[in-house]
Amino acid sequence: MKPAKFTYYAPETVAEIIALLGRYGDDARPLAGGQSLVPLMNMRVARPAVLVDLNRCKALDAVSDDDGTLVLGPMVRQSGGERSELVRRLCPLLAQTLRFTGPRAVRNRATIGGSLAHADPVAELPGAALALDATFVIEGANGRRTLKPDAFFVGQLTTAIEPGEFLREIRIPKAAANTVSAFIESGARQEGVAIGGVAAQITLAGEVCQDIRLAAIGVGSGPVRLTATERTLLGRKLSEALITEAAKAAEDDVDPTTDLHATAHYRKRLTVALAERAIKQALAGPRTN
Amino acid sequence: MAQTYARGPIGQSTLRVEDDPLLKGLGAFVDDVAPPKNTLHLGFVRSPHAHARICSIDTSAAKRLPGVVDVLTGRDLVDLMKPIQVDPDKPGFKITHRLAVTIDKARFVGDTVAVVVAENPYIADDAVEAVAVEYEALPAVVSLDASLAPGAPKIHDYIADNVIYENEQKTEGFDAVFTAAPHKFVRTFRTSRIAVASMEARGCIAIFERGLGTLTFWTSTQVPHIVRHALSEMLGLSDSKIRVIAPDVGGGFGMKAYLYPEELVAAALAIKYRGSFKWVQDRVDDFLTSNHARDQQYKMSYAVSAEGIIKAIRADILVNIGAYASFPMGSSLEANGGPRNMPGPYDFAQFAFRTRAVATNTCPTGAFRGVSAPSTFFSVEGMMDTIAKELGLDPVELRRRNLVTKFPYTNAMGQRYDTGSNGECLDRALELSGYVAYRRSQPASRLLDGKYRGIGVATVTEQTGQGASRYKERGLYRVPGFDAALIKIEPSGKVSAFVSQAAQGQGHLTTWSQIVAQELGVVPSDVTVIQGDTATVPFGSGTFASRGAILAGGAIIRATKIIRDKVKRIAASVLEASATDIEVADGYAFVAGVPKMRVALSDIASIAYSLDARLIPEGEEHGLEAIAHYDPPTSTVSNATHVAFVAVDPATGAIEVERYVVVHDCGRVINPMIVDGQVHGAISNGLGQVLSEALIYDESGQLTTTTLLDYHLPTALDMPTIQMEHMETPSEITLGGFKGVGEGGVIGAVPALAGAVRDALSPLGIEIIRLPLDPPYVLSMIEAAKAKRTN
Repeated sequence: MKPAKFTYYAPETVAEIIALLGRYGDDARPLAGGQSLVPLMNMRVARPAVLVDLNRCKALDAVSDDDGTLVLGPMVRQSGGERSELVRRLCPLLAQTLRFTGPRAVRNRATIGGSLAHADPVAELPGAALALDATFVIEGANGRRTLKPDAFFVGQLTTAIEPGEFLREIRIPKAAANTVSAFIESGARQEGVAIGGVAAQITLAGEVCQDIRLAAIGVGSGPVRLTATERTLLGRKLSEALITEAAKAAEDDVDPTTDLHATAHYRKRLTVALAERAIKQALAGPRTN
Repeated sequence: MAQTYARGPIGQSTLRVEDDPLLKGLGAFVDDVAPPKNTLHLGFVRSPHAHARICSIDTSAAKRLPGVVDVLTGRDLVDLMKPIQVDPDKPGFKITHRLAVTIDKARFVGDTVAVVVAENPYIADDAVEAVAVEYEALPAVVSLDASLAPGAPKIHDYIADNVIYENEQKTEGFDAVFTAAPHKFVRTFRTSRIAVASMEARGCIAIFERGLGTLTFWTSTQVPHIVRHALSEMLGLSDSKIRVIAPDVGGGFGMKAYLYPEELVAAALAIKYRGSFKWVQDRVDDFLTSNHARDQQYKMSYAVSAEGIIKAIRADILVNIGAYASFPMGSSLEANGGPRNMPGPYDFAQFAFRTRAVATNTCPTGAFRGVSAPSTFFSVEGMMDTIAKELGLDPVELRRRNLVTKFPYTNAMGQRYDTGSNGECLDRALELSGYVAYRRSQPASRLLDGKYRGIGVATVTEQTGQGASRYKERGLYRVPGFDAALIKIEPSGKVSAFVSQAAQGQGHLTTWSQIVAQELGVVPSDVTVIQGDTATVPFGSGTFASRGAILAGGAIIRATKIIRDKVKRIAASVLEASATDIEVADGYAFVAGVPKMRVALSDIASIAYSLDARLIPEGEEHGLEAIAHYDPPTSTVSNATHVAFVAVDPATGAIEVERYVVVHDCGRVINPMIVDGQVHGAISNGLGQVLSEALIYDESGQLTTTTLLDYHLPTALDMPTIQMEHMETPSEITLGGFKGVGEGGVIGAVPALAGAVRDALSPLGIEIIRLPLDPPYVLSMIEAAKAKRTN
């Protein structure tokens, strides 16, 4: 388990990173926490000719509040995000999700940006990003461009990041007042890759659902919005019966495939169960101020 | 009469001397051994086909890569070594041959077709990719059914029906008893193939000392002596010139109780090129090529009286042995493990079985903690739960009616249980778990707080510490069966114990020091245990099959007795007393009843090694050491009751183990904390087999689970809190009264957990006959059962 030969760069500034990515184009891969890329390289499934290590660039691991928008550098460690008071206050769902992204040893190395750019269909953070309506800032030699999740996640292990570009920033709108949220997932083990999961963020006016975003993972090539369930709940008082009823609609939102770990049928059933629980768990939690 | 034992270091939870270095990162595994300068690295070209004829191998591109020293095919290696041949010429066995590097055909994905030799492991991996092999794909058989189907492709040309081993036995009078019984029950159980996945995969370093013409062979093994003997026999270098060292070994669990082809190749090349060769396996290769286990099917037929007394059991057992029989356990290990364990703790006289080891185009299978017994007891205890349900009896009551409670007892296989505590363990486990109250308050729907909740009870036995006669009987001629200890009181008075075994985490450095300390009247910290190195420790079998405590314990007791007697004679001379009046304790030899008349062991050692003004008594030889061997008369049986509480999520099929109780009896306990650890670890193995672990080959024979993302080992978070108690019923046939403990935890956990899930889902009429119970499978059973009800 040794990687194929590659050239390694450890730039310290964004300008250097962009220059290197521009120079090597499709041959280069940025290295973030390395928790997915390095094993893939060791198995020679990924064979980048050039590795541009982002870990020395101090500008990339900041967490800030830009006038009501949470701004995350791509190199913010997952455990760092989970512990960040700013993240918890502005985007509780992100902090909730980060508890599930891997064992602690992995979360200490793994980055938020790395997981999003890797775009594994069962990864938790793409689901949270979709539910949070995150904005992805991509930077390359031609400057910056911004994408919403539906444009950013292109397919399994594929994003809209082009050769020469990298994920420069993740911007997440602050949760509105009276917002509740939850992330849950399920698999054969407490820890380890899940079969599926659901992220839920709901803004309430009294008991009425004013805004709702639900995203499922493990049911497609990327995270999937549960729009049918959302539509059923929007503008209505969230009774237990209504939630159960609405969750059933999630089956129509997803079109999973059968793989090694579960059948398509199971993934649909799981999405329904988890959607119901995520909504109920969110409602049982505290509301934002 | 049960023997009573003096108090002392044995029975104390002495802290493991192994843990301090391991926790500080000071362990030294094969990959930590500094190899000589210019050591070359091996890469193995694995077949990507499950079954294929090898048409041609083009090594030229690989050989051209800078840093590649050589690329060898099976033809280049065939004259350097004998084929691996293990099974005996006995009825039921078919003798198979395996070439370390195959020439004619690849027989599983992972079979080796070429070897590259390179300056470093990176270049070796490059070269492996550059070897161009042309294959002609052949139809592959993966499953038991496919292999046994008429006209199935043959794995080995000389085995027409793919059955490598077969054994059929029936007790006299079986048919009449079976026919006469009023109730018959038949079920077929199936367990998935699983992987050991030891934290350290395999690896070895072969170092040829050019001046001396000797080979030093570092390898991650449980059986250094067996490896040395096999290398000598297959490579033609005398065993006296081979030193095999097992350094720290990061888990073995039976999988490393074998000689592997890569070890043969590394040693052969070291001898041929008079150099050093290293290979360290990665995880993917470990999944592909390290022995798998427990791909088994049990068709169980029970004949039972109206009162629920088992009258006769018939079992038809199939085990998937994979592509080859492995050295030294051979093809019969798992196949015979089923029937050998099947009588278990239950009293019945009539037993008929047929067991077959079936070859397929998959990785070879072999020993894994408990060998077949976890799957056997999954089937046996599954039948007990079924019979109880059908007869309207509580499952515990049914077990109680059939338990062996009088000892000694000889079971239907003719095996003698000298002592045991089946009934006592069951009683105590029920008490600790609150079984009766739980049953009383348990709703018929099994639904509590939205989940199906159930309890499973399993009463099991573990066959431990088998000696030479048992291995001969089983046709395992390559397993010596005995072990040995060489004990030295050094000139300082401190003690060195050279034991023929090789630990992989069992804590031998601690437990053997406790036994030595007890027998020589010193403290454990004065005893240094040396093991795993054939140059320093006497010949023996190694550490597997729950044999360490019994075999090493017996050998240590015998060797220390010789030394103790000599100590007494020297002390008697110094103290001018009779040797029969001398006792040894607390580092002194003293006159019984007159503790002031004493001489320190260190003084006796000085005399024995002639480092003192006093001469050694006339007639005594110098030195203070002794070697002894121990071969127990038969196997010794441990027993346990496991009680599991589970919750099944009706919406997701996910299972949570909420509570766990185990009451265990492994005879006289050497170190209770280490026994706790053995049982905890083994329960986690059982939990994995029941809930999540499965190696999955697709129909073409590709292994689809080759990473720890796809092969689901449980983690600490999946483990319940375990409440454990030990009972101590010493064996009357082993020296020291010890029984083995390494495997019992998994043997009990598999049926207890499966039984608990069955109980939880009993309102739906679900029986558990297949493992693992992963959430999609569980949900599919629930949905199917509900659909059946509404139809």
